[in-house]
Order: sequence, then structure tokens, then C-alpha cells
Amino acid sequence: MSTKPPPEHAAPPPELTPSRVRFWMVCALILALALPLQLSVDAGLFPDVLNPYYLHLLTIIGMNIILVASLNLLNGYLGEFALGHAGFMAVGAYTAALLATKALPSAAALPPVLGTCIILVVTLGGAMLMAAGIGYLIGLVTFKTVGDYLAIITLGFNMIIVNAIQNLDFVGGPRGFTGIPKNTNFLAVAVCALLTLGLLRNLIQSSFGRVWVSIRENAIAAELMGVSIAKAKNWAFTIAAAFAGLAGGLWAQNQQFITPRSFDYIKTTEILVMLYLGGMASLSGSILGVVAYTLLMELLRNLLSAFAPQLAEWRMLISPLILIIIMLTRQTGLLGNREWRWLRPRQGA
Amino acid sequence: MDTIIQQLFNAAQLGAVYALIALGYSMVYGIIRLINFAHGDIFMLGGFIGLLLTTRFGWMPFYLLLPLAMLLTALVGVTIERVAYRRLRNAQRMSVVITTLGVGIFLENLVRLTVGPETRQIPAGLPSAPVVWLQQHLGAFVTWDKLLIILISLALMAILWLVVNRTLIGTAMRAVADNKDAVPLMGVNLNLVIAVTFAIGSALAAAGGIFYGQAYSIDPYMGIDLGWKAFIAAVIGGIGSIEGAVLGSFLLAGVEVITVAYLSSNLKNGIAFGLLILLLLVWPWGIMGKPTLKKV
Repeated sequence: MSTKPPPEHAAPPPELTPSRVRFWMVCALILALALPLQLSVDAGLFPDVLNPYYLHLLTIIGMNIILVASLNLLNGYLGEFALGHAGFMAVGAYTAALLATKALPSAAALPPVLGTCIILVVTLGGAMLMAAGIGYLIGLVTFKTVGDYLAIITLGFNMIIVNAIQNLDFVGGPRGFTGIPKNTNFLAVAVCALLTLGLLRNLIQSSFGRVWVSIRENAIAAELMGVSIAKAKNWAFTIAAAFAGLAGGLWAQNQQFITPRSFDYIKTTEILVMLYLGGMASLSGSILGVVAYTLLMELLRNLLSAFAPQLAEWRMLISPLILIIIMLTRQTGLLGNREWRWLRPRQGA
Repeated sequence: MDTIIQQLFNAAQLGAVYALIALGYSMVYGIIRLINFAHGDIFMLGGFIGLLLTTRFGWMPFYLLLPLAMLLTALVGVTIERVAYRRLRNAQRMSVVITTLGVGIFLENLVRLTVGPETRQIPAGLPSAPVVWLQQHLGAFVTWDKLLIILISLALMAILWLVVNRTLIGTAMRAVADNKDAVPLMGVNLNLVIAVTFAIGSALAAAGGIFYGQAYSIDPYMGIDLGWKAFIAAVIGGIGSIEGAVLGSFLLAGVEVITVAYLSSNLKNGIAFGLLILLLLVWPWGIMGKPTLKKV
């Protein structure tokens, strides 16, 4: 704004690689790496280098990216403090588990690759729809409040969801849900994570999504401009819940065993730590936060168990300490409000 | 009839523990408008400090041990405020809330790693014989420790009420709650007032932790569940109000005891949180709280 305005008919400066192209390039690169990786680990090639453990780690990272990026929609872009993300993950996980075990035939009865794809689409779609539906209903009541009370209410719903699942006997109650077929692999998680990132990136930059940022910056001004605040907030909540459900569905079909306790307050806090480590209102931050946190925890575990096995559990103290130190020293996280170029809409926008 | 009276005492005991925790939430919220998510874990820590003192210094009588544990926990509370919260006093509200979450998890894991994840009970420091008078006249089987826990808790609450309403520091606390910006201009040491608030809140929570460990049992993660229950109680009563916190605690404990006795113990948490959400939506300022005006 401060610089001199350009001449009236000057063409915009040519962009060498528009960010859309960059985005597709990154997606293609990741998939091009993921496919041979998955295939060679499945085939048991190079067992020394391509350890299944690394693939498992990458799978966890992918699922966490979906969770953190979708929570960023609420806590970062919309600027509310929602504390119940693990609850929607639980809804998705249980829906997918039910669909996979009770409603659908096993993958063995279907053609090999296509069958798994169909199962994944149905289970994950069901998980997203269910989580979105419940998210929509909860959002209707939740957004009558703001600030501290919103945080408490979302956490309360998280606890209620976990408590309700504990009381449902046909999904195993407090004992957990066992015998879920393993339909998810790293490749499926990678595709889902990229789809999530792409969708969220486009959504946030669309006129539909910019409304969320406008509410965060000044709710009253946004309202005066004709934004229906309750509606916009509920949309954000529903979408975030759907993606949490997606992550839950992937999680259930990857771990093959889920219990209500693994979706409580502690899981929500873990998602929050990764979110704040990476930075608010930044999809790049979400990716970096998840990768940094997961690698740090694994590194600590390996280092501690190699050099001081009796201290191996002490890494449990590290993650809350990281959270506290970030809040005390760098509240914007690693990449708060900044994006890598492939996740930006267009240059300078 | 006798079972109803027994249930009444059960509810009063649970309510007393809730009240001791809820007061800390309510006082801190009243003064600096902060929901201290770590407060439930301070309660847990208080219980474990009590356990440590009873096992290491078995000769120490209960009436000496209780104040000592309260003092130690108060020191921890003040230290946490000094190290983690004070620097964020003027930062975004949510940064402090997230910090309190981090402190809470830190305390949980610290206790789990140093003491162990097992559920423990604090060795009895109070007589556990039944109260003969109640048995003879009402037919209710109530033990002395239950009665004493209720009575000591009520005494602590009475002391708190006197401190807040009848002393200079209490006046300062109420003044800070009223207007945090103007009070330092009157020459009141704001840091001191806030530190004292955290100290009192933590000390009361420690007493709650020790009572809970005597009556039930303690484990490193109990602070999450009980902390939230106490917080719900504080909201029911009207957060920021001392009388409200006490009233809300006994109400919530009553509802829970009735749920467990006549419905199902699995529904306990669901009903408590359902109650919280309903209350926040229709009556957010609670029984004793004052409705706040939304400023534009």
C-alpha cells in the first residue's frame, strides 16, 4: 500500500510457477515417493533400510496432520478455542469400525485393490458424514457462547461422547472395539492427508472461508458487513469435525483396536500441543508441528532407551514442557500466520 | 430412611472435597479471570504430598500433617504462578489457558513417573469407628472420619470466608476482583495479592486431596476427573463467588450420589457434563454469580 501504485494498464508481474502448479507438484512428488515405499515395504524388500516401523511413523504423521490441520480451522482461522477434537475423532473411528466389521464384506471377498478402495471410500465417507452430523448438532449449541465457556462446552461434549461410547455395549463399551480389519496403509493416509490439505487450503482462501478470518479479526465488523456469524462458525465446526472423523476412521482401520479412553482429553491435548508448536492459522505450521513433535518424541524415546533406559518414560514430561515454553517465549509457534509457497493461493495475495 | 441419611453423608463428604477444589477455581477466576486447568492436578499433588508425609513421617499426627501438606502445596502453587502464569498476565487470554493445560499434564506425568501410576490410599489418620450417637438415634452407619472430613472442610471454608471478608488482604483480593487496573494505583501490591490467592487455593485443594485419599483413593490422573467436577460445581454456583462454589459443590455431589445410587455409576460423568452444558447455555452466571454485561 505504501509503494507507488502501478501504471494503470501495466500487466501483473509474470509468475514463474503459480502456486497451484506448485501444489500439484508437491502432491505428485509425495505420491511418487509414497507408492514405491508402500509397495516395497509390503513386499519386504530391503528390510534393513525400509523398516515397517518408519512407515508406521509416517502413517501416524499423516493422520495427525489431518487432525491438526482441521483443528487449525477452528483455533487458528476462526479464532475460537475448541477443546473437543478427539471426540469427533472417536465418532469417526467408531463409525468406520462399525461399517467395516458389520456392514461391509471383508476385503478378501472383493477384487484386490479396487475392493479395498471401495471399502475405504465407504467407511471413511460414513465416518466423515457421521462426525459432521454430530459436529453440526453440537455446533448449534456450542456457538451460543464464546471464549472460556466455548472451551469448556466443547470439552464437555468430548467427555460426553466418550462417556456415551463407554455405555454402548454393541461397540464394546469400556473394553474397546476389537477385530477391525486393517484396510488403511500409508498410501491411503497420504492420499487422505493431501486431499485434506488441498481442500482446506482452497476453502480458507475462498470467499466462503475468508469470512472465518474476518470473524476472528472483528466479529462486530463482520456482522455489519452482512456475515451470519452463527452460520459461518457452525460451518467451520462441521467441516473441522468431518476431517477429525476422517482421521478417526483411518486411525481405527490402521490400529485395528480402539477404546473410548484413547479419545479423551489427553488426546485432545496432544493435538493442541502439535497445533501450537506449528503455529496458528497456518497449514504449513500444522504440517511442521506434527512432523517436529512426532520426530522429537521418537528421537527422545530412541535416545533415552539407548543411553538411559531407566529414564525412557521421562519423555512424557517433554511434551507439556514444550507447550509451556512455546507459550512463554513464542506464542505464534514455529510458523504462525505464515505459509509455504505451495500452500499459498497466489503470490502476494 | 437410614440409607437415605447414609447417602446424605456420602454426598456431604464428596461435596466437601468438591468445594475445597472449587474454591480455588472460583477465587482465581474471580481475581484474574483465568480458568486454571492445572488446579485439579494441584489437588492431586496435594494428595500425594500428604501420602508422602504419612509414609515418611508416620509419627506425625494428622492435625500437624494436614497443615504441613497444605503449606507445601501452597508453595508449589505460588511457584507455578510465578514461573508460568505471571509473564502471561497481559498476553492473550488463551495463551495462559493453554499454559495451564501444559502445567497440568506436566504435574500428572511428574507424579506418575516419580511415585508410580498405581492407585493408592492414604493411611488412616482419622479414627474410623462408627459414630455411636448417629447409629442409635438415626440408625445410620456413619464413621467418624467421614464426619470429621465434613466438619474440618466446613471449618476451612469458614476460615476462608473470614479471611476474604474480614482481613486487609481479603479486602485487597475483593478489590482486585472488582478492578484489576485501578487497584495497583492505590498502592496495593498486585503480585502479592495474586500470589496469596494461588496459595490459598492450592492449600485448600491439598486439604481436599488428603481427604479424598483417606475416604477413597488417589492416583496421578484423578485431577482431571475431579478437577472438572469441581469446576462444574464452581460454574453451577456462579464462578467467582465463594458461597456459590460451596453451594454448587454440595448440589453436584448430591446429584452424583443419587445417580450412582438409583441409576448407574456409568452415567455419572455424562450427567455431570450434561448438567454443565445445560447450565452454561441457559444460566451462565450460576446461582450466586452476577450476570455480566456484554460491552461492545
